[in-house]
Amino acid sequence: MEEKNLNQNESLEIISRMIKETRTNLERDGGGIYLLWGYLWLIVALAIYFLIRETGDYRVQWLWFAMPIIGYPTMIYMLKKRDKGIVTFIGRVIGNIWISVGVAAGLLSLYMLVDYNAYPILFVMALLVNVGVAISGLVIKFKPVIIAGFLGIALSFVMLMVSGMEQILVSAGFAVIMLIIPGHILNDAKRRAGSAKRGGNVKNGGNVARGGSHV
Amino acid sequence: MLKTEVMLLEEVAMFKELDPLLHSQLRLAVISLLASLEEADFVYLREKTSSTAGNLSVQLEKLSEAGYIEVEKGYSGKRPRTTCRITETGRKAFEDYVEALKSYF
Repeated sequence: MEEKNLNQNESLEIISRMIKETRTNLERDGGGIYLLWGYLWLIVALAIYFLIRETGDYRVQWLWFAMPIIGYPTMIYMLKKRDKGIVTFIGRVIGNIWISVGVAAGLLSLYMLVDYNAYPILFVMALLVNVGVAISGLVIKFKPVIIAGFLGIALSFVMLMVSGMEQILVSAGFAVIMLIIPGHILNDAKRRAGSAKRGGNVKNGGNVARGGSHV
Repeated sequence: MLKTEVMLLEEVAMFKELDPLLHSQLRLAVISLLASLEEADFVYLREKTSSTAGNLSVQLEKLSEAGYIEVEKGYSGKRPRTTCRITETGRKAFEDYVEALKSYF
């Protein structure tokens, strides 16, 4: 792009083309982070369930701390890798939601070290994460994530109806409902949006004047 | 004065003046991008505007001097990173530019 005198049509073309560049589902960054936490949760929950069943030793529950130890560094790595050099308003909102959820989840887990019976941790965690999923879904206006979040909120109360080993198994089920399924749906949506964009670019190559009329 | 001349003058008076700072291909592209984003780095702006680093630097400097954008130089890991944000003045100027542009159509 060089310096040259513009006419009004060219100005409109530039504005519409640039705005369009920033509007291609930027906020829907795929489901990578959902899948990371979902599969981590599922694997850790199932590992704990089977280890307790085999050994009868409840100290195995310490393994829950493997989630933040593995999850946070991996998430930071993933976020750095997909850095597009921009921050959108929605991206910042979503990021802040999950920072808040993460801090609350961390403190709730740590308080377990002080008083193990203070609250039903798996219920509280499921509720907290599902609230995060539901808000994120509402912010990005993506129905599968909204449904997963609110379904998860309702199902969190199942945690209060089951006890002991079953709680761990139900929590593994939650990982699938609230993180893994929406994660795969988000990835699929991103893939389809990507191929549609590529197709669209070829089809509408350079035809930006039409979009200009909407500015 | 001829009737046609009067009509022409009236027509010209209807057109609002376009901000000369934004009425440039690259500066307008940068402001249009930043108007839709919270912030963008230099590499993103260079790629999306298909401009050269030198030219983009000059135009960013002009926009920054006018108070239309904020430029922050920092680091991303070990690599230097320049981040740009539109200011309220810049946003207002862009809105006025689009409003003025409408009078030509």
